[in-house]
Amino acid sequence: MIEDHDILNVDAPELSAAERFYLPQILDGMGTTIRHMGHSLFKRPMTVQYPEERRELRVENYRGVHRLNRDEQGRVACVACFMCATACPANCIHIEGAEAPWDDREKYPAKFDIDELRCIYCGMCEEACPVDAIELTPRYDLVGRTRAEMILDKEELLVIYDQTKGEKARKNPPITGYPRMAGAAALDPESETEGEQA
Amino acid sequence: MPKITIDNREIECRKGISVLQAALEAGWNIPHYCAHPGLRVVASCRLCLMEMRMPDPKTQEPTWSPKLVPACQTPVRDGQVVRFDSDRVRQNVKRCMEFFLLDHPLDCPVCDQAGECHLQDYSYRFGEAESRMVDEKLEKPKKDIGPRTLLYSDRCVLCTRCIRFTQEISGTHELCLVNRGTRNEIDVFPGKPLDNPLQGNVVDICPVGSLIDKDFLFKRRVWELESASSICPGCARGCFIRVDHCDGTVYRLKPRYNPKVNDWWICDEGRFGWKYVHDDKRITAPVLHRGHEKTTPKWEELPEILRYRFEEQMRKNGPDKVVAMLSPFMACEEAWLLIKFIREVAPQAALAMGPVSEDGENQHFPVGASGDAVRFTILKEKCPNRRGIELLIGAAGGKTLSFEEFVEKSAAGDFSAGWVVGGYPAEWVDKAAGKIAPKFELLVVQDIFPNALTDAATIILPSCAWVEREGSFVNSTGLIQPFERAISPPEGVKRDGQYLYEIAGLDGLYRAGRVRELMNATIEEFAAVFEAPPMPAHAH
Repeated sequence: MIEDHDILNVDAPELSAAERFYLPQILDGMGTTIRHMGHSLFKRPMTVQYPEERRELRVENYRGVHRLNRDEQGRVACVACFMCATACPANCIHIEGAEAPWDDREKYPAKFDIDELRCIYCGMCEEACPVDAIELTPRYDLVGRTRAEMILDKEELLVIYDQTKGEKARKNPPITGYPRMAGAAALDPESETEGEQA
Repeated sequence: MPKITIDNREIECRKGISVLQAALEAGWNIPHYCAHPGLRVVASCRLCLMEMRMPDPKTQEPTWSPKLVPACQTPVRDGQVVRFDSDRVRQNVKRCMEFFLLDHPLDCPVCDQAGECHLQDYSYRFGEAESRMVDEKLEKPKKDIGPRTLLYSDRCVLCTRCIRFTQEISGTHELCLVNRGTRNEIDVFPGKPLDNPLQGNVVDICPVGSLIDKDFLFKRRVWELESASSICPGCARGCFIRVDHCDGTVYRLKPRYNPKVNDWWICDEGRFGWKYVHDDKRITAPVLHRGHEKTTPKWEELPEILRYRFEEQMRKNGPDKVVAMLSPFMACEEAWLLIKFIREVAPQAALAMGPVSEDGENQHFPVGASGDAVRFTILKEKCPNRRGIELLIGAAGGKTLSFEEFVEKSAAGDFSAGWVVGGYPAEWVDKAAGKIAPKFELLVVQDIFPNALTDAATIILPSCAWVEREGSFVNSTGLIQPFERAISPPEGVKRDGQYLYEIAGLDGLYRAGRVRELMNATIEEFAAVFEAPPMPAHAH
């Protein structure tokens, strides 16, 4: 619920004489264009000869196709808390929660579908996840012949984890200090500092 | 009306309530767990402690009390001065919250209460981001305490609301506190599970995620749900409920506060009695029999077809051969529209009352209570609107019949054209009623589920469950209580109110309020409907 005191009205700043004239901005923009032109003429061209050549990615934070991480025992790490589905601005995550078949876990996703066509790759799901189960991978060459193929289910997302775990390791698991899942170790001050370093 | 001063603001409050209740009603957001207006005061959670002005024992000068006093246990007194906005009070809440969270498993991601949990809310307001607890957390077990309820004792704050509920409201005494000190926890007595007709309420009053409904377990996160204010159709009592739904599916029913009927409670029969709404066997399209041919008429054509068919019967068999049977599951507005249509085409038509389903005896709670001691009642009359339909049939006048008379006369061939409304969640057509169909030349049946009558009907109209309709029910004490629609009907089905509105010859969209205005012209009871006073915004 948004209350009155949460609302802050912001007015657009007043434009100065030079800004209202517009020409300086246009020239500024031209400057950027010419700089890039000079860069590709005299240094290295911007164009990448895909697919023979591939761009170098910053693997840690590139936002490509999703994956669902596995925990130490190879089970899906997701606890079906719906945080990602709630945070998702494109409504592309569809989860069905169920009672976990394992003794040490309460809840797990019986179904976990991501519509990769709807997704805007903003990374909010990754940020919202309390157990670091959903992550975006550096993979960007996702293809499918039908729309249905582009809706990835739980198994497919787990397979992507298996394929990409070498490229990008899973972020340090449980951050919640969740006794049932992580045991007493998560509450140990030492393991906490380790988590920060990693 | 006593006047008290809270945080330097003078307020007027009701007599005989606690300071906590007065503050909540005046809009203060005072944290509290154990206090519930429907239950005995125990002042055990210590969250609502406040500072109070009282005379110094030596000098008789008014000073702030040296110790904090619980607001839930202090009755209001004229001229009282208290404050919540002070460092001592805030420090107390902070320490209490830290204490409540000592052994909390922090499993909000998998806890069904997350989103409507007061441990979350108060922790957000008063709690610390980190725990100072150095010892290993005590892991209390998850217990299966009854056929419908789970108890997660590690999330419990020991407010004992659930225990007091089973003692004071249901009177069944299943729950108790076991062990002492930090191992203190809620449990059931050995061999006596929590299984009484009101047990679902313990889940509602639990301020944290300790008591969880198995039926709703892991179905949805609560912030995805939308709510509609409704009335329980389970019995003639007409308890106020909230329908929580999402994506066109009902997920749970919760009680709404109504001091005249159900207070804060509902029974399990009503709480879980909505499952038939999503049954696959429901009738989902109108059907028209032309001889042996079965067709699905367009909704727009229906008013004309029905009017023509009834007028044809009038010409053929005379004006007094028409009958309409109204169901106690109809809303008053729908029944009024149907009566309007029938009496327009056949002014001498008879109006019959549908069968009133009954089951067992009236149940009073606490178990064994009578008279003023009764806190909650489940009636044996299992339909929501008998009084409303009787009122409307009475107001319409003319020939009226009971259900038995209707069956008898129909079987004797007294009627050639009939409109029968069902809408019962369970099978309602008995053997005698099933045999009347062949006696009619024109039989319109409006029902939710197929039965012996719909099988033989000339025209079948699909009916909607109450969560898909809007209108009002008249309860056993004569209160006219409105209910909103929560979800859309199944694809292809028009709401009863809407098609009856069109059949009755009215244009536009059916709105219960507008129909009530029209009804009010002839039946003055419908001038106003009963709305319960809202609960204070921060009370729970």
